[in-house]
Amino acid sequence: MKAANMIRLIIDSRLENVSLVGSAVRGIANTLYIDSTTSYQLELCVVEAVTNEIKHAYHGQAGHSVEIDVLLYPDRLTFKIYNRGKSMNPAKVAPFSFDPSNIETLPEGGMGVYILQSLMDEVHYKSINGQNILTLVKYLKKPG
Amino acid sequence: MQLKHNNVEDVLIVRPLEKRIDASTATEFKQKMNEWIDSGNRRIVLNLSEVDFIDSSGLGAIISGFKKIGNNGNLVICVVKESVMSLFRLTRMNRVFDIYASENEALEALSGKA
Repeated sequence: MKAANMIRLIIDSRLENVSLVGSAVRGIANTLYIDSTTSYQLELCVVEAVTNEIKHAYHGQAGHSVEIDVLLYPDRLTFKIYNRGKSMNPAKVAPFSFDPSNIETLPEGGMGVYILQSLMDEVHYKSINGQNILTLVKYLKKPG
Repeated sequence: MQLKHNNVEDVLIVRPLEKRIDASTATEFKQKMNEWIDSGNRRIVLNLSEVDFIDSSGLGAIISGFKKIGNNGNLVICVVKESVMSLFRLTRMNRVFDIYASENEALEALSGKA
């Protein structure tokens, strides 16, 4: 399906730039017929994904670019996030689990992938010729 | 990162004056909380009234403070916006933290604890 609209966001790989992408995503989400919690969750997913790429694909180093394509279709919103850093192995991501009554087991990290998989309708990851592409898809409900 | 803080008797109230607690500010937030806990604060109210965005790094920093206090006190949270609350629910942290609608309720609850 052809995208009705596409916006490309490009930032340098610094954590302080992630909020720029987040604000842009929230701005785009706010033009759609979605509630404020869903809008926050879309921003959250893109922020988690871009933060992970800066921390893990680029080891927190500045000077690399992270590109985010935002594709708006009539029935869904798709984010494609590109980097040329270290690729990840989705199968090696530890499952998110803890015992709420046992303080020692509470996680201080490792929540990002769980958040993406919980809030997005589709999550795909692939590496082609040194380029890593994470695709996040959210289906849009029709207004009314 | 601007964090307003004041004591009411032996309870420390911390109110971030930022709209976001994310990966770029979480480390500083965690350090500040660590300093306050190390200097003897064991009952902390975190007022999130100004915060409209928290990511997993920000949440991790809050959890870190909670774990550091451990069973020697408590860190409770108040005035959480609905969108931010959705992250607490998603990660089941609403079952870990005591979350109150107002700062006064949080203070009363902490003061009543031994």
